[in-house]
Amino acid sequence: MDLTHGGGLELLDPTAERESGDRPLAAPVDGTAGLRIALLDIRKPRGDVFLDELERLLSDRGFLVERTAKPTFTRPAPADLRREIAERCDALVEALAD
Amino acid sequence: MSCGLHDVVSFEGLGRPAVLVASSVFRDVAAAEARNLGQPAIRRVFVPHPIQDRTDDEMREMAAAVAGEVLAALTS
Amino acid sequence: MARELVAIIKHDCPVCVALLPALDAAAVDGSPLRIVSQSDGDDTAALWERLHLGAPVEIDEELELSARFDPDAVPTLLLLEGGEERGRVEGLARDRLTELAAEAGVALHLDGLPAHRPGCASRTRDPRIAAALAVRAARAQGRLRSRSLVIGAHEDPHEALFERGLTDGLPVVPPTPERVVAMLEGTHRGSQEVVGVVPPYGGTATVEKVAVNAVMAGCRPEHLPFVLAAVDAACEERFSMHGLLATTHPAGPLVVASGPLTERVGMNARGNCLGQGNRANLAIGRSLQLVVRNLGGGRPQLEDRSAHGQPGKVGACFAELQEGSPWEPLSADRGFDADETTVTLYAAEAPRLILDQIARDPEGLCASLALGLQSVAHPKQLLIWDALLVIGPEHGRILREAGWDRARTREELMRRTTSRVGDVLRGAGGSPEGLDPAVFGGNPDGAVPKFAGPERIGLVHAGGGAGLFSMVYGMWASGEIGSTPVTRRVEPWT
Repeated sequence: MDLTHGGGLELLDPTAERESGDRPLAAPVDGTAGLRIALLDIRKPRGDVFLDELERLLSDRGFLVERTAKPTFTRPAPADLRREIAERCDALVEALAD
Repeated sequence: MSCGLHDVVSFEGLGRPAVLVASSVFRDVAAAEARNLGQPAIRRVFVPHPIQDRTDDEMREMAAAVAGEVLAALTS
Repeated sequence: MARELVAIIKHDCPVCVALLPALDAAAVDGSPLRIVSQSDGDDTAALWERLHLGAPVEIDEELELSARFDPDAVPTLLLLEGGEERGRVEGLARDRLTELAAEAGVALHLDGLPAHRPGCASRTRDPRIAAALAVRAARAQGRLRSRSLVIGAHEDPHEALFERGLTDGLPVVPPTPERVVAMLEGTHRGSQEVVGVVPPYGGTATVEKVAVNAVMAGCRPEHLPFVLAAVDAACEERFSMHGLLATTHPAGPLVVASGPLTERVGMNARGNCLGQGNRANLAIGRSLQLVVRNLGGGRPQLEDRSAHGQPGKVGACFAELQEGSPWEPLSADRGFDADETTVTLYAAEAPRLILDQIARDPEGLCASLALGLQSVAHPKQLLIWDALLVIGPEHGRILREAGWDRARTREELMRRTTSRVGDVLRGAGGSPEGLDPAVFGGNPDGAVPKFAGPERIGLVHAGGGAGLFSMVYGMWASGEIGSTPVTRRVEPWT
């Protein structure tokens, strides 16, 4: 029996061996007014001021803006919240990560 | 930032263009994580670091400065 | 059904050599006796020439036949019927050999040979060969599915693993298939069972994958059940491993083990239990960190955004000391039976000292402990930070002699870590940090506790017998916005 693997050393891969094939992005939306944009606040400090202004600017341009917030920035958004937002809105802005 | 990036990837998966706004300090790691999540082109816009000690006026100026970029990310 | 005799020998076994002439004589044309050699072709041929043997001999390539029948010793004579074993004799037992051969219609003439000789160890019992055969069997049974990394003959395995980004910066034990198969002996769980899904990239932690990382960390098989329980707990959603990894805060997962199995596997609950020197503590803690890195994909300065980190992020694990403890086992405090062995995961900073060399009663001791607890995160930051207090035995004795259980101790600590609102508001004492007056400013003489509830103060007894010291671990953000401690049962390997 050859225990030497032809002189090399065989080890087992400790990783998850994930081959992430690149996935395409969702189709962009067209920029005409009437689009509903969700602004998702991750709830880090100062983000609300930033989003208030962004809301104002987007509304001025004729977009419909919906404000929501995650329960905490320390985890991904709950699946229910994501689904609800995706159902009601055409696009999403998540802010402000620092 | 990492959790936000995961959210944006999820929304894209639900068919909605999504953009993350983050502090510029995350530029490189956001690129690395996006690649690792299989979506290197994930939509992201950066604002100058730091954030925490900005005045309200400065925050508003920041929003005004990137509003166009945010819209461009969602519409292209 | 056709009956067959198979004689397994090796060239360097004197008992085989003594038996071979008789086997040779019996293995004439048409005889149902086959002679199989565990030695290679050259050695076997040389032996045949030396003994002037003429019977055909088969070389057991890759020791497949030997592995199948798995004798402890050679010579071994097997009686097969339709390929299935009906009887065997291992070693030289003259009468039994003759009887067994007769059942296949073969006359063995063993006069002149001793009645009994034990023979030599089968080559399959050579530890290196046995390990390689175990790997082959594991792969054939689908128990070993990790892809191979082949390190070239001229590469240093330690440098190779480091360059591939698979280490924490220190050398790891190279995870050969033999070591991983041996590690898997530490659990009765199937190697493809899923222990958890590891953030941030959601890698699947199977028992096998955890075992690979446990080998690298320096674990022995008996440590594996603790590692499996720790990984399971860390991947539990309410522990919030993703957030804990990604935060700028210095906290990392801390594994606290409680119960009878901790001593059996050699964990340290006594002197220097939080420090260096104890293999079980260090290796179990490090295994979890390697899992986070290799299966989850979380790496410092990339996914892991900790501003400073701390030494516990290389690995942090210790055992509770039940002997002399003022309290029931941590397992019981966490809702399990008092005699179960568990691990509890906390999202913890590095521990800090709370010294008290004067107090002789529980109230006085708790006054000092409370001052230490107050400083977790920031003395004026309240309610969102939990703590774990590790009571040293000399302090623990004071509580034990007063009969203070965890509930009584917590009650005292809660009371003594309650502040006057006005003293902990932002700006108080010249420090801009503190409670937001917009939320709390209503009544400056009101009382506000440091901790959101008594159960938010974890209590565990551990440490060396000399030294009037306790240690406090501050936690990362707690509860809904952060991490909640998670406890899992450790399943013993037998």
